[in-house]
Amino acid sequence: MKQLSLVKSLAHLKEEQKLSEEVLLEPIGLSLTRGTVVEVVGGASSGRTSILLNLISKLTQEGEVCALVDSANGFDPRSAVLAGVELNNLLWVRCDGDLENAFMAADFLVQAKGFGMIWLNLVGLSRQKLRMVPRTYWYRYRNRIKETPTLFVVTAEDAVAGSASQQSFGLERRGATWSGMGRFKLLRELDVTWRSRKHFFGPPVRTKVEFDYSDV
Amino acid sequence: MPTRSKLFACIISPDVKRDEEVLLSIAYSFAYRVELLTDGVLFDVSGLEKLVGNTKAVAREVLKKLKESNVSGNVGVAASIDAALIIARENTGLDHVAVTDEKFHQLHLSNLEIDGDTLGVFESLGISRVEELQQVPSDELVARYGQDFQNVIDMINQSTKRQLTPNIKEKNVSWSYELDTAVDDFGQLIFILNRALDDLVADISTRAMSTEQVDIRFKLEKKSEKSYEIKTSFPTLDKNFWLKLVNLRISVDPPQAEILSISVVAHFTKPRPSQTGLYAASKPQPESLLLTVGKIKKLVNEENVGVPVMLEQRLERPFALDADKLPVGRESKEQKLVPPVIAFAYYDPPIPAEIFVRNRQLIYLRTPEFAGRVLAYSGVWRSNSAWWGKSWRVHEWHVEIENAGIYRLQKKGDEWFVAGEFD
Repeated sequence: MKQLSLVKSLAHLKEEQKLSEEVLLEPIGLSLTRGTVVEVVGGASSGRTSILLNLISKLTQEGEVCALVDSANGFDPRSAVLAGVELNNLLWVRCDGDLENAFMAADFLVQAKGFGMIWLNLVGLSRQKLRMVPRTYWYRYRNRIKETPTLFVVTAEDAVAGSASQQSFGLERRGATWSGMGRFKLLRELDVTWRSRKHFFGPPVRTKVEFDYSDV
Repeated sequence: MPTRSKLFACIISPDVKRDEEVLLSIAYSFAYRVELLTDGVLFDVSGLEKLVGNTKAVAREVLKKLKESNVSGNVGVAASIDAALIIARENTGLDHVAVTDEKFHQLHLSNLEIDGDTLGVFESLGISRVEELQQVPSDELVARYGQDFQNVIDMINQSTKRQLTPNIKEKNVSWSYELDTAVDDFGQLIFILNRALDDLVADISTRAMSTEQVDIRFKLEKKSEKSYEIKTSFPTLDKNFWLKLVNLRISVDPPQAEILSISVVAHFTKPRPSQTGLYAASKPQPESLLLTVGKIKKLVNEENVGVPVMLEQRLERPFALDADKLPVGRESKEQKLVPPVIAFAYYDPPIPAEIFVRNRQLIYLRTPEFAGRVLAYSGVWRSNSAWWGKSWRVHEWHVEIENAGIYRLQKKGDEWFVAGEFD
């Protein structure tokens, strides 16, 4: 029955799994590793949310279940739909600005295992409070998702995860493009650069994020 | 292969409600152990070989009776209940067809409860029938697909543990317990509930059923009662899961008086397919997801956890959070590579702002968080189409602020707010 055997060895299976350990965001040129903590930081209008929605869009379209811990209730599902996110595959947790609840909720999600991505969005929370979060939380998350298919992404204004994050990206807005004249202008696109804050220190990579007026 | 000591017959009828009495009388003319199904009748014909003949002869005999009674239906006779059910159901749409377990070996695998992904793998390997799958060493199949696949192997080898249950009318099983002394804390009753679930799960499993609803009723002091209807979106007989879920649900809304007695009712439902997808996308186990969502709801309130849904209205916030829904993990039919689009992020609550206007131009914006010169702006916009309401009077602008970001500015009456940022 050797020729009929459909049974691949476990080692072979693991090899197959390794191939999908990276989540590639082709439009931006980003590659993220599953089973790790990834940090995306940047100031106001630096494109953090746009890039994260693009990532969630890719995963949810493939049928993965993703979770968003929305610390400051800032999530806009309309933007998510425009970005191509499959809302039926997204679990949305609103924390009403409560930092402790946000971290506890993320902890529960990490323990559940099997999420394609957990996005802990800390944008909009007080920087002072964030600095008081014990570093042990981040190491706990890192250890919990190790060797799982989950990608744990945290977005904030400043770096928060320290050495617990395997990848850390800094985003910056170089400018915005408006079309039209005088008062009759339209916001068209953001010119964003991102650079890795770990592992390699190449030149910043530029990317454009466009405004979608299709639903206006 | 199983020994021929057991033999089961199944009649699948297009209209059980109409022909119920006739079907039962036919079944009782062959056996005393009869189970009425939603689409037919199942009965034990073990030992009839000596009286009637081989399996084919038994099938023909049952079919003869069916024809004599002028009742439509198909007959399946096999060594296991599942095989008899499957082969009888396979000819739905035809009338008066009798098949035996020889046919079972030639059945397409799609008749078994194997999910689409795994079937696809089998198809690509040229395995499409039960007899072909039987050729593959079962230990290798279990090693490849996990212990759960043993159920499928048992089914194709006709050695399933499904028993014929002449229950006919029952739709649930129940368990109750009177306490010797009243208890005020539900936590103390967990071990009793554990015992109840143990018994109920064992009871349900012998009937080859599963459950997705457990009702708990407490009799409380002062002749009051408190009941809980705990439902899942999938059938499961995992006792530990039910115990955790019940505990979680009751801890959110505990009984307000001392508990005198407890009764538990588990409702029957069909079990779910035993096999999960091999190459399926990453998603949490349904039990795990439900428990996690329950824990988070306890933490951040019920209305704050769920799935976002869009509303078919033009509002400032045209969406809602559906707290009764759970993410399903369904793959999109058309996967499209969308370039990143500018997303919006709300400020909750909106930040009060001061705006300086000169010659009807926005010049400078000041808030407690940031301030700066207006570099560019567009507007005025109305994000709400409800012209009959106050929200119609809200005016909006998109503004780019020097050394800050790009924001949505709102004017409500005489007050200005920053509603959020484009990020």
